[in-house]
Amino acid sequence: MLTVKILGPGCANCRKLEAVARDAAAGAGIEAEFVKVTDMKEIMAYDILSTPGLVINDKVVSSGRIPSQAEVRQWLAK
Amino acid sequence: MQYTLQLVQGGIGNLAAYLAAHVLLCLLPAFFIAGAMAALIPKAGITRWLGRNTRYRVSYPAAAAAGSLLAVCSCTIVPLFAGIYRKGAGLGPAITFLFFAPAGNILALAYTGSILGAEFAIARFLLCLLFGIGIGLVMALLFWRDDAAHDARTDNLFAGQTRMGTAAIGLLLSLIVLLLAGTLKVAPLNAAIGSLTLPLPWAGTWQATLAAWVPFDAAKGEEGVNVQGSVLIVLLAGIGFTAWKGLEDIVEGFNRWTPIALGLASATLIVAALRLAPTGDALEVVLTGRVPAVAAAVAAVAYFARRLGAEELRAWLWESWRFVKQIFVLLLAGVFAVGVIRQLIQPEWIQAAAGSNTVLANAVAVIFGVFMYFPTLVEVPVARMFLDLGMHPGPLLAYLMADPELSLQSMLMVAAVIGRGKTAAYVGLVALFSIVAGLLYGAWVDRVSLGWIVLGLAAFVLALVGALAWLNGRWPPLAHST
Repeated sequence: MLTVKILGPGCANCRKLEAVARDAAAGAGIEAEFVKVTDMKEIMAYDILSTPGLVINDKVVSSGRIPSQAEVRQWLAK
Repeated sequence: MQYTLQLVQGGIGNLAAYLAAHVLLCLLPAFFIAGAMAALIPKAGITRWLGRNTRYRVSYPAAAAAGSLLAVCSCTIVPLFAGIYRKGAGLGPAITFLFFAPAGNILALAYTGSILGAEFAIARFLLCLLFGIGIGLVMALLFWRDDAAHDARTDNLFAGQTRMGTAAIGLLLSLIVLLLAGTLKVAPLNAAIGSLTLPLPWAGTWQATLAAWVPFDAAKGEEGVNVQGSVLIVLLAGIGFTAWKGLEDIVEGFNRWTPIALGLASATLIVAALRLAPTGDALEVVLTGRVPAVAAAVAAVAYFARRLGAEELRAWLWESWRFVKQIFVLLLAGVFAVGVIRQLIQPEWIQAAAGSNTVLANAVAVIFGVFMYFPTLVEVPVARMFLDLGMHPGPLLAYLMADPELSLQSMLMVAAVIGRGKTAAYVGLVALFSIVAGLLYGAWVDRVSLGWIVLGLAAFVLALVGALAWLNGRWPPLAHST
């Protein structure tokens, strides 16, 4: 099963990203475990410059922006 | 009961007057500019000047530029602060960024300018810039041993280099022109270039009804609502509704509500640039120079927006909408609360505590700023209230500098990144610098000659350097930050 992490201190963009990612997974029928990472130290460990960050199986796929559902579906399918 | 009613009415009156008068031509473009900056300026373009090996002459101004261009709310400020501190140039520039971002960003500047006047906005900007760099340098000197020791990771993160497309630059510039066309109070924009009389007999009655609904006392600095204001409030509500439908899922693309919301926003800006005056049994519509200026700027924005890439366009609209959702609602609540509180505060209290430009008055203002937590930008209408109630501009500036930088919430977040000792030093420095800034600006307003102000500033800097030298046991080792 995939692990999807949402990096961000809990601001509007992080919540939006989580919603997009969940919808994308549900739309593609992919089961995934969602983890919200809000601790600043843990977030910085992922080497991203700005939140929100999206991490799929410990690989950063996007940061600093909100991808569309279609993009997330592609990353999930890989 | 009567009293409660009066308080609520004060709040509603303030809110209505505010929505009708102040928001549109300044805040609407400012939200779109903030959105464009967040979505379209490549962060690496600025943060590459913040790498570990950057000289301090470059890294401090770059940190300030990052503060004014990249960040608007604490949501962006704290992660970037952590990044600059841990992986970038270190504590000093990170502190400069942290201090400058809440005051130097476009929303804060445009908003301060429209509510408190251009002079205040300029003073706030310059003093925050100067003292932000000062506080950063002092922090770097105080803690230079820690800084030299803290983990030397690669600065890959800060090395990227990207450029903005011409459409993005054009969009940003035309938005800034739109903001200026809407807010500058200069003759060609204010002058009437034509007028039109609409036979609307209800206009005068409606104005009288509005005055009865929102009674105001000009002597207390309160403002009423006029016919134009009521039209604008209706249009704003329309924008709110259509934007909710059209922009909430903009990352998936446009829907049929999106063009309606954007069209309404443009129309509102143009209506706000008109001047509507009820005269007896008709409504006179005065066309000012502002109308064609605003219309041309809106057209330029639309032209460049069409040339953006689809993804950039969506990101821009989303970020703008996100700022509106995040800040505007809190701002409305804040303005309402200010209207209520204004009924409770006696002007004599404010005049006694901070009516003149003394060290004590400035200190009181700073302490108030630290213990009150106002959401992003709400400090500005609060400041307006104090100004109307007779606060001296000097202490008011001290309050404006301390409030957004220091609140319990932001101190906790900062402490998590840099530790308690450094946070305590930072808080102390901000309080000190804010008091000095208030004294200097107050002296300027009181028309003390420039020579004395410069002399005072020089004495402050010398005392600071002396204290640092004593603390370090030697002259400041500036070499470590090169």
